[in-house]
Amino acid sequence: MSDDLLTTYTATITFDRYDEIRDALFDTNLSRSFDKRSYQAGNIRDGVVSISHGSVHRARRRVENTQFRPDVLRLYERDLFPQVMRDLFDVVIEGEEADLYAVGELVSVVLASRRAGIEYDPSSIDELRELVHAVDVFSQGSAILDAKDPDAVRDLVRATYESFERDFVRPAWERREALIERVERGDLSREDLPHDILTVLLLHRGDAQLELGDDGRVVREVATYLQGGTHTSGQTLVNAIDLIFSTESSIEATLARLTDDVGFAQRVVHETLRLRPTTPKIKRRAEADTSITGRLIPKDALVVLDAATANKDARYFGAAPERFDPDRTVADSVPRWGLSFGAGAHQCPGRSVAGGFPVPDDFEVGDEHVFGLVALMLQEVARRGVRPDPEHPPERDLRTERFTRWRRYPVRFTGARSVTAPA
Amino acid sequence: MPIEVSVDPDLCIGSGDCVRILPAGFRIDEAAGVSRPLLGVEEADPELLLRAARTCPTQSIRLVTADGRVLHDSN
Repeated sequence: MSDDLLTTYTATITFDRYDEIRDALFDTNLSRSFDKRSYQAGNIRDGVVSISHGSVHRARRRVENTQFRPDVLRLYERDLFPQVMRDLFDVVIEGEEADLYAVGELVSVVLASRRAGIEYDPSSIDELRELVHAVDVFSQGSAILDAKDPDAVRDLVRATYESFERDFVRPAWERREALIERVERGDLSREDLPHDILTVLLLHRGDAQLELGDDGRVVREVATYLQGGTHTSGQTLVNAIDLIFSTESSIEATLARLTDDVGFAQRVVHETLRLRPTTPKIKRRAEADTSITGRLIPKDALVVLDAATANKDARYFGAAPERFDPDRTVADSVPRWGLSFGAGAHQCPGRSVAGGFPVPDDFEVGDEHVFGLVALMLQEVARRGVRPDPEHPPERDLRTERFTRWRRYPVRFTGARSVTAPA
Repeated sequence: MPIEVSVDPDLCIGSGDCVRILPAGFRIDEAAGVSRPLLGVEEADPELLLRAARTCPTQSIRLVTADGRVLHDSN
């Protein structure tokens, strides 16, 4: 590989079969480190966990995965999220008309902030909107390989990091450093520290394996978790509603079923993720010569993994795989969301936050099951009587080649505010 | 037939998938951030052991039968 800013790929190789893509995602010779101009050397994705590779990536994930343990997920899903969600829905849905995408992002950013370690004034809807704006910019940065104007995206992301660090990260950082000092002096138990990504990064920053010596890397890492925790949930909520509105069966009957059955709501989310992956084409670069199901991949090849096509493989997802069918039969060994959370070492760390635990083929789950926050959001919008807005058509996000992303999704809420507790 | 189960601590990233699939067979060592096989795991349902091994995001789990046959290798 040359030391030029941009990597010159030796080949571009595309896979679109489920088994091939799964093999590729487990291949440690395929990395997410792409061209240096976009991703390295002081640039917008420099050093973040999602593009790091090998031992650095594993060390970072060991520390960060502590924030995704089942007991933490259950705490969020059962104790924190339902009330936060209902209160926010009451505030952000003014009147009958609303932009569902904006609503979904505002609700998601509250808990994503908490998990990332960002602090804001909980009484200020304007601060939440600022965070959502930052998430929108960081999302464009994370999808820069598919951006239509990458230079504009780079400039925007750099500027947003500055205000994000100043207004949100630094105050939280200073408070956490003070708390960690108290732990080191023995004045505070480690258990009493905040449970979030920023705290664990600061606690382990001295570990050279994590490569977090540069402050900018800590800021970008926190931004990565904020963005990942917000954007996928908001987009998946909208895509689920769009699929329900686009499917021939009765919207009323589907929404009623959603309201009554959180298990069904979770399967709707999984089916939505399968048909509308947030990243329809996953990309990797070959760090060394390798092979996938016998096909040679030369070093520095760009490998395109067409998850959107693979997710419609009838051998894994049954007859009519292109159809939206949350009740379809899928073997226990295959995630109902297909490859939409990735697989292998880079599998989305927050998949259980958004999508919950995998659903067994008989749909029977125990008391420990986690349904995922998007299922709860979906139930809430169903309870509030969400309907298409016939006067304002939805708008896709045309700043990216990713067909699953929305910019606005106007809807009408025909139901009551302050509704009953979730089932 | 018992199955020898090992987790490569250099590869494991503590995703907890193995614990979710087989809670009686694995636990996360929070100090190290990696999964450890529990005593008695060798007698666990082989199907669940295989599912845990195949699901492991870094393929850190190795399964070997008593007669030396490798059911699933780590990366």
